[in-house]
This record gives sequence, structure tokens and C-alpha cells, in this order.
Amino acid sequence: MTFHPQQAGRALILLGFSVLLYMMHTSGEILLFINPKYLLLSQAAAFLFMILFFIQITRVWTVKESHAHDGCSQAEDCCSHNHDHGDSPFSVKKAISYSIIVFPLLTGFMLPAKVLDSSIADKKGAMLSIAGSSKNGNKQSPEEGQSIPAEDQQSGEDYIPEDDTAIVTGYENQKTEAEYNQLMKQLEHGEIIQFNDSIYSSYYEEISSDINKFQGRKVSLNGFVYKEDSFSDNQLVVSRFLVTHCVADASIIGFLSEFPDAAKIEKDSWIKIEGIIENGTYMDTPIPLVKVTNWEEVSEPESPYLYPISIKRN
Amino acid sequence: MIKLLRSNIIDITGFAVVLALLWFITLGSGLKGSIEIPSSLLNLNTIFLSILIEAFPFVLIGVLIAGMIQIFVTEEHISRWIPKNKYMAIVMSCSVGALFPACECGIVPIIRRLVGKGVPVAAAIGFMLTGPLINPIVIASTYMAFGNDAKIAALRMGLGFGIALIVALIIGSLFKGTQFKKSVSIVSHSHSNNKKFLEKFWAMLQHSIDEFFDMAKYLVAGAFLAALVQTYMPARTLLEIGSGTAASLAVMMGLAYFLSLCSEADAFIGASFSSIFPQTSILGFLIFGPMIDLKNTLMMLSVFRMKFVMTVLAAVAGTVFITLMLLSSLL
Repeated sequence: MTFHPQQAGRALILLGFSVLLYMMHTSGEILLFINPKYLLLSQAAAFLFMILFFIQITRVWTVKESHAHDGCSQAEDCCSHNHDHGDSPFSVKKAISYSIIVFPLLTGFMLPAKVLDSSIADKKGAMLSIAGSSKNGNKQSPEEGQSIPAEDQQSGEDYIPEDDTAIVTGYENQKTEAEYNQLMKQLEHGEIIQFNDSIYSSYYEEISSDINKFQGRKVSLNGFVYKEDSFSDNQLVVSRFLVTHCVADASIIGFLSEFPDAAKIEKDSWIKIEGIIENGTYMDTPIPLVKVTNWEEVSEPESPYLYPISIKRN
Repeated sequence: MIKLLRSNIIDITGFAVVLALLWFITLGSGLKGSIEIPSSLLNLNTIFLSILIEAFPFVLIGVLIAGMIQIFVTEEHISRWIPKNKYMAIVMSCSVGALFPACECGIVPIIRRLVGKGVPVAAAIGFMLTGPLINPIVIASTYMAFGNDAKIAALRMGLGFGIALIVALIIGSLFKGTQFKKSVSIVSHSHSNNKKFLEKFWAMLQHSIDEFFDMAKYLVAGAFLAALVQTYMPARTLLEIGSGTAASLAVMMGLAYFLSLCSEADAFIGASFSSIFPQTSILGFLIFGPMIDLKNTLMMLSVFRMKFVMTVLAAVAGTVFITLMLLSSLL
């Protein structure tokens, strides 16, 4: 009976990935990485890793006599290798490739997940994408705005009606069509336009696409503070990350806001503002501008990210 | 007797492995928060892990399909299914790719198995190019991202399919054989068909594990590089270079390549650039990204020769660029 250290190492790695994913799920940390819509998929991945681990541990010990027991372990006789079965001698090259694979396990277990901050917003070109989404008079179709991603109808899970606070697991930004229409009606006629997390991006796009229509309306919204050198002292952007799939594809949405106190607010702090929408510009592109009347510092919400809304049709 | 011993040994090994991991986790969580780490590194790590977490389900599905092909599909099947005519084979593989809802993370192990089983390498490349680009989920998300406007989605799919055909034809005329790396010799599994299904299934799962370890290092490296770009390279500098159709097209294609986004999600990112750049450049971003990106290139290098991978990359980039430039006046 022989022990194969490499096979054992592989088993350990598979188990490691499974446990890492599992721990992220139980601690809720996973929501700092992916859109909750894909929770189930990544749970399936954790489960698959676990299954592969159980298969892998059968290869850690081999018994000469029982060689013929499984499909292809008698590799020497039956199949010429076309890939590494993990039996070939250990070399420097292998050491490097194993350490590459182990690397995410190390950082995953040892480093805390972080909520993306304004430095990432800066690298992603925050103002460019904000200016990019305002569509005054360009070729985009006017009813732009329902950023409803694919697979609308999938997963008939229960949604949480007032979901702004209740976010632990299983939260999906999903609404029925009626609820969605109700919310969009409030955008048209409500006294104050309330930016709840679930409808934030839809309102944002709607307003950006037709600033004139919403000019003079009162808004109330929250976000983290983002600043750029080109801003004047009384300007900042109240911004949020919109996560489609995972935080790597997060895009920035937010409102350029003007008020005297802006200068003394640190970037990355979370604030809630109330104000009036006006026409503004950024590098000659018209963008909505909020003249702030009231503001307060708030703590970072439990779910810092926004997710595109899915409409459930039933 | 031996069997009994063997099963016990497996239990013991499993137990030891679990213990080792537990020890490691306690060690790790003890360190968590105790050391000061610059926040940009934490950002980097978060993006890096999120790309991996996003990719894992698709990679695992990919290696399982690859394992299935390896064990259940024989060379005879392939030679029966694939048309003898080279051109027909390419057209067919591009169409199959368009119907097959693959993701770029999982497609490399699949095409590797297909080539190993005797699919012409050009046809496999055609499959690789259309698989992630043309599928229902991508069509739907593109349609939504561009304000329920079917034009961009239609152009993305239509042009994408044409470009995939052209690239596959170019590759077909340049390369013969499998183009595998030297260390990756050609398979000739002689799995006799009288084996039990269960044994075959077991072998398939083992193959999937090996496949995963072949791909994983490239996936990790690719995810890390993409995260590095996202954390430290300002998009603004890139965009400042991109004035004029040709330059902005090149910039958007470069962006698509280095960001290595999933084809399901990239439409929303592409849409956010739509008022800064002409439609041609946006299409470049949308078509080039799913076909080939940084993560994908590295994964291909695990299988194919350097020269071949570079040629594919150049052919895809060149064809996308030229096609879109030629059409830019019409769009």
C-alpha cells in the first residue's frame, strides 16, 4: 500500500475550496462578493467540491493488488496520459502551480472581505459612467431604464416585500410586475422620490435619461461619498455600486450633489441626503445634480451593494 | 480483507485531511484582523476572490462535461458526427456553439477533450468562440442593458457569429493536428464498452478532478491579473487615449480583454460607456470579450502551444477590429 502525498494535497485543496465557500455562506460574507441571485449556484459549487473531495481521497492510498478496481487508475497499461493524474514526480514547476492554486485559499481564509470603496470607484471611472448613463438627446431609446437582467422569471422563491433592512441570505432583488409598476408610479407622482435599495438603480436610470422631466422634484437617497479633483469644494457624489453578477463587474451609479458642507465630509463615509433635482453638467455632458437641503451621516448599510431588479411574472 | 483495510485507510486519511484544514482555518482566522493590510490590497483580494467564486460553478460544470466527453464519447462517435468537409465542420461547430449555453470559464476544458477525441482544431475554436457569446442568457442581458433595444443585441450575435466563422476558417487554413503542447500527448483511451456504467461514471469524476487541477492554476492566475488591472489601472487613462473610432475601438477591446468579465454581465458594463464611445467600440467590447480574454488565454495556454494560442488571439482581435472598422460607417 502506497501513500501519494500529491493526491492528498489535491484532496486538501478540494476540501479547502468547499469549506471556504461554505464558511462564506454561513457568515454571510459571500454577499460582499456576489449578487445574491447567484447564491444557489455557488452553494452548488461548494457541494461539488465536497463530492470531488470524497472521490479524491480514494486515490490517496493505492493497493497494488486491487489495481484493476476502478476505471482508469491502471493508467500505465490502458491509457496514455494526456494530462497530469497527479502521479508524476514532484518538481519545482509543480510546486509553483500548486502554490498558485493554494494562494486564493490562503487569502480567502486569512484576509477579511472588504466593501469596495471610492478608490475602486475612481479606477472604474465613476464620473465617466455617471455621465455615460445620462442620455439627454442621444440615440438611446427613451424608455431606457428597466435594467432588468436576464432570467427574469427564474426561481419562484419568496421575496421579502420591504427588503431594505431584511438582508441576510436568500435576499434577491425581485419584485412582481405589479409591485414594480407601483414603485415606478411613485417615481412619477410621489411627493418625495424615495430611493430604496431595491428600486435605486431603476429610479436612477429613469432620472438620468430625462433630467428635464424630473427637474425640481424632491429626492431622498443614501450612498457613500466619492470625490474627484475636478469637483469644486461644495460638490461630492453620493454613490452606490451596482453589482450584476460579482463585485468585479460592479458599476457605479450616483448623484452629483452640491451643498456647502460637502467640503468637510470625508470620502467613503456614508451619508443620507435630501434635495432638489436640477440640471447639471460634467465635462459638457448633462447630468442630474442634487441641490442638497438636508443631510446626515449614516452608518454603512448591511447590504452596501445594489442589485439590478428582477421582475417576477406570474 | 484488503478491501476492509483500504476503506478504513480512506476514513483515516479523510480524517487527517479534515484535521489539517481545521488547524489551518483556526490559524487563519486568528490572523484575521490582527495585521494591518493596506485597503487597496484588500480591495484587490476581494475582487480576485469574487471572480473566482463567480467562475467556480461554471468551471466545475465545464470539467464535468469534459470528463463526460472523455469517458462516454468515443472517437468513432466524433468521426460520425463531424462532417468530413472542413468547411462544413466549421459551420457546424459554430452553430453548435451558438446553441450550447457555455460560459468562457468552462469552455477550455471542453474543447480540449473534443480536440483530444478527434474534432478538427479549427472546428473546436469555432465552438469556443460562439459558445459563450451566443446564448439565450447573453442575448437577454444585452437586450436589457441597452434599454430594451434589440439592435445592439442582434448586431452582437450576428456579427459575432460571422467573425467566429472567419476566425475558424483562418485557423483551419493555418493549423493542422491537435496543436496540443508537447507535455499534452494525444489520448487514445481504449475504454472497452463492456465496462459497467458505474465504473465509467467513477472514472469520469476522477478525470474531472484532474482536469480541474490542470485548469485551476491558470484560472487563478488569470483572475488575479484581472483583479490587479481593476484595482490599479484607472479606466480614465484608457479612455483618454480613445478618441476617434479606431483608437476607441482598440481601447474598448483592450478593456474587454483585461477585465475578463463574464459574458452574462458585461453588457451592463458595456452599456455604461455607450454615450462616451461610438457604437462600433461598444460592439467591439461586447464581441471581443466573450470570445477571448486574459483568463481564457491563460487557460488555453495550459493545453495548446504558445504559438497557436497567440495566433488565435491575433486572429480574433484582428478580425473583430477589421470587421467593425469596415462596418463602422454603416452602423
